[in-house]
Amino acid sequence: MTDVHTPREQAAAQGEETVSFGTTETEPDATDSGAGTGPSAGWLRWGWRQLTSMRTALVLLFLLALGSVPGSVLPQQGADPAAVQQYYASHPALAPWLNHLGLFNVFAAPWFAAVYLLLFTSLVGCVVPRTFKLAGSARTPPPRAPRNLGRLPHSASFPSSLAPGAAVDAAAALLGGQRFRLRRPASGDSGHWVSAEKGYLREAGNLLFHLALLGVLVSIALGGLFGYKADKLLVEGQGFSDTVPALDEFHPGRLVSGSDLAPFSLTLDRFAASYLTSGESRGQPSDFNATVTYSSSPGAPSRTYNIRINDPLSVDSTKVYLIGHGYAPVFKVTDSHGNVAYNEATPFIPANTGTFLSDGVVKATDASLGFMGVFVPTAVSVGGTLESAFPADDFPAVSLIGYSGNLGMNSGVPQSVYQLNTAGMTKVAGSPHLMLPGQTWTLPGGRGAITFVGVKQWVSLAITYDPGQVPALVCGMLALGGLLLSFLVRRRRVFVRAVPAASGGGSVVTVGGLARTDASGGFEEEFAELAAELAAQQKPEPNNQSEAGA
Amino acid sequence: MSVNLGLAQVSGDFLVAAIVIYSLAVIGFAGDFAFGRPRRAKAAGAAVASGEHAAQLATVGAAQGAAQGASGGGVSEAPGASDLADGAQAVPADAGSGGTGSGDAGSGDAALPARQVPALRAIWEAGPWVRVAVAFSALGILLHVVAVVTRGFAVHRAPWGNMYEFVTALTCVAAIFFCYVMVRYRAWALGVFVMGAVVIALGLAETVIYTAAGPLVPALQSYWLSIHVTAMTLATGIFFVAAVLGVMYLVVERYRARVAAGKAQPGNGLLARIPSAAQLDKLTYRTVVFGFPIWTFGVIAGAIWADQAWGRYWGWDPVETWAFITWVLYACYLHARATAGWRGRRAHYIQLLGFASLTFNMLVVQVFITGMHSYAGVG
Repeated sequence: MTDVHTPREQAAAQGEETVSFGTTETEPDATDSGAGTGPSAGWLRWGWRQLTSMRTALVLLFLLALGSVPGSVLPQQGADPAAVQQYYASHPALAPWLNHLGLFNVFAAPWFAAVYLLLFTSLVGCVVPRTFKLAGSARTPPPRAPRNLGRLPHSASFPSSLAPGAAVDAAAALLGGQRFRLRRPASGDSGHWVSAEKGYLREAGNLLFHLALLGVLVSIALGGLFGYKADKLLVEGQGFSDTVPALDEFHPGRLVSGSDLAPFSLTLDRFAASYLTSGESRGQPSDFNATVTYSSSPGAPSRTYNIRINDPLSVDSTKVYLIGHGYAPVFKVTDSHGNVAYNEATPFIPANTGTFLSDGVVKATDASLGFMGVFVPTAVSVGGTLESAFPADDFPAVSLIGYSGNLGMNSGVPQSVYQLNTAGMTKVAGSPHLMLPGQTWTLPGGRGAITFVGVKQWVSLAITYDPGQVPALVCGMLALGGLLLSFLVRRRRVFVRAVPAASGGGSVVTVGGLARTDASGGFEEEFAELAAELAAQQKPEPNNQSEAGA
Repeated sequence: MSVNLGLAQVSGDFLVAAIVIYSLAVIGFAGDFAFGRPRRAKAAGAAVASGEHAAQLATVGAAQGAAQGASGGGVSEAPGASDLADGAQAVPADAGSGGTGSGDAGSGDAALPARQVPALRAIWEAGPWVRVAVAFSALGILLHVVAVVTRGFAVHRAPWGNMYEFVTALTCVAAIFFCYVMVRYRAWALGVFVMGAVVIALGLAETVIYTAAGPLVPALQSYWLSIHVTAMTLATGIFFVAAVLGVMYLVVERYRARVAAGKAQPGNGLLARIPSAAQLDKLTYRTVVFGFPIWTFGVIAGAIWADQAWGRYWGWDPVETWAFITWVLYACYLHARATAGWRGRRAHYIQLLGFASLTFNMLVVQVFITGMHSYAGVG
């Protein structure tokens, strides 16, 4: 970094080919490396300089932006695994290739990690030397004043009634009062001048910003190692305790085990959804509210809480979010002997999130009966097809297709609870059968009966713990603060020189100014004000002027 | 609380009125372009006569003029002299060894016309066309603000809950911010471009993506709407102005390069009105420097809200991904200005790429790509 900003050096800097992060870029020179180090050290140093050069950082930033694009265009495993499955089904030839390139999980792909790790290495290679440099420049005084201040970007000149030495003393006092760092001529120096510099916080802010970004990355890693995410579907009246077997899905961080889960338990008492009943956006939800009873640990007193979309439940440092809901019709199935083989609320998955027409299956294994069903909260018939007119359960109905035979539940092959494998089963006559709450469908041939008892609602909850959250927020705010400092503060130098006036006892004072960085502008005004203050301070008094004129 | 339909109607009427008044302002700015006297050329001519030291003298004159609060002949020459300096010198290089996101040394070299004359007087001196256009712009902004505020009162929330409301608000920000920049830097010639773009954006909002006033879905019922979306609206409005300035820079710079190569005649009447390439470069940079921290804040606020609503502060949702891409591209621009070989045209291309990704996020990703941010309410 150049320390003295004479116009000559400015011109030299303009001709400089590359402005690198911290070091100047040169070709590797094996002979240049000191005794005892082989040619490879020269190449290593060259490689490091390349990596920490601004140009490389720029290319890596570009790659980071470019690499993110497929993550938004293609379905991502982390955000929507079902969409990835669907993509596989519709593009059977292309999908495996995309998968090989990690394009279904871009933000966890090795090549994406390579880009940002290289970028942060480059950043560290730039920031660390610059931190030392800043610490050094905070201890060294500003450079000596250039000879010809008129050649600086900003300059002004005025007569002073004071002698050159006194004029510079007064100027130095004024600049020192404005918290400039000063440098006066050493004992051997000739001339009367003062150098002043201010705005070291700009570079400090710049460094803070980059270090804080590093902190954000570390915080994210912290969350990935020690945090966890889990999902749980709960029907009204059901409860669970936060243990791995009780959860539907559990995504632990690399260093998390099941015993690290917060020991709370929670019961869903009631779920209420309300919808707009009139106007253009009729059917749009206006509120979701899940009332739960929870206790933070076994034996702790139980409390109730209303979980809403923007209002998660916090238990210790774990949070429980409401992320989905649907209907769970209650069915009772009896076998051919009249024994109850199935009696529970069955979650149906919304096929249409606007009207909540939902699909689901009932598996009464002991009765050798299975049903595929469609549930509608507000039934209407559209040309003979069952449809839902409104998402609230104003007039619920189900349409069932019955199957009898072996459900294949004991074959050892895992099955989805939302799908029925009808191979080896026979369709029950009379399907599909439409039912309203309270109605019973007695299956032909004495195979048994199914009763649509009523309707409950289910919610899906996300349980998350992320220890990196608060550090990430703190680092984000620090980054923003650093950014503002580096944009708002300007590093500037002001020089004052005084020479004896051609006639009379006063002197001629020249002020020169230079802003090294002026992102938000305004140094012009600041310099003008400063020059005016300096001039006003040393305004020749009227009697002096008349004397000089005489 | 239900929607106040009467008030929503009032808001719509005010917006239509604002579009009409803005259109008149654009006509005013265009009239200045066509019939106004060529200010810059005249001032530059005066400066040429005073020789090589004109720029330096002008700076001293400016300093002293500001110090004494005086105005008049000597001072009014200053902007012209600065213009000459711009033409003679390239964009200043960072004299230090550069720096992450810096590169703005020697602020005097491409100095923008400073505030030597009070704003109102400067508007008056700029000629009848500019006077009328600025007056219409101010009136249009007033109507526009009333439209946005009444919409907010009609729906009892921050009036940027869907795409139509978002565009309405961001153009309001762009118009206000641009008028500040225009008056601050006396850049009257930019009016026809920026205000023209505002009129087009508003016209499209009114015709293509109009959405009736209504309450919000539960996911948006949070005070973070007013924090996150407000920051994004402000930043988008500011980047909008930066993008128009960037395009103008490229046009002026191309013309300058053609003149230098002998392929075009100097003294193009239209381009002579526009600030010089160096001034536009600096103005664009300052605009981005203003918008970038606001965008950063908006992204952080969005992360906090996402954590509250969805259980994670960052999930690479398509809209989040594109906000990140936009942020990285603007960061690229800031770094490119401090990198040799990337200043000037290339940096501006990056800046425009950043705005393209922002626009793509707003108009394509939010509307057509399903994600957690699908609130546009279009179609």
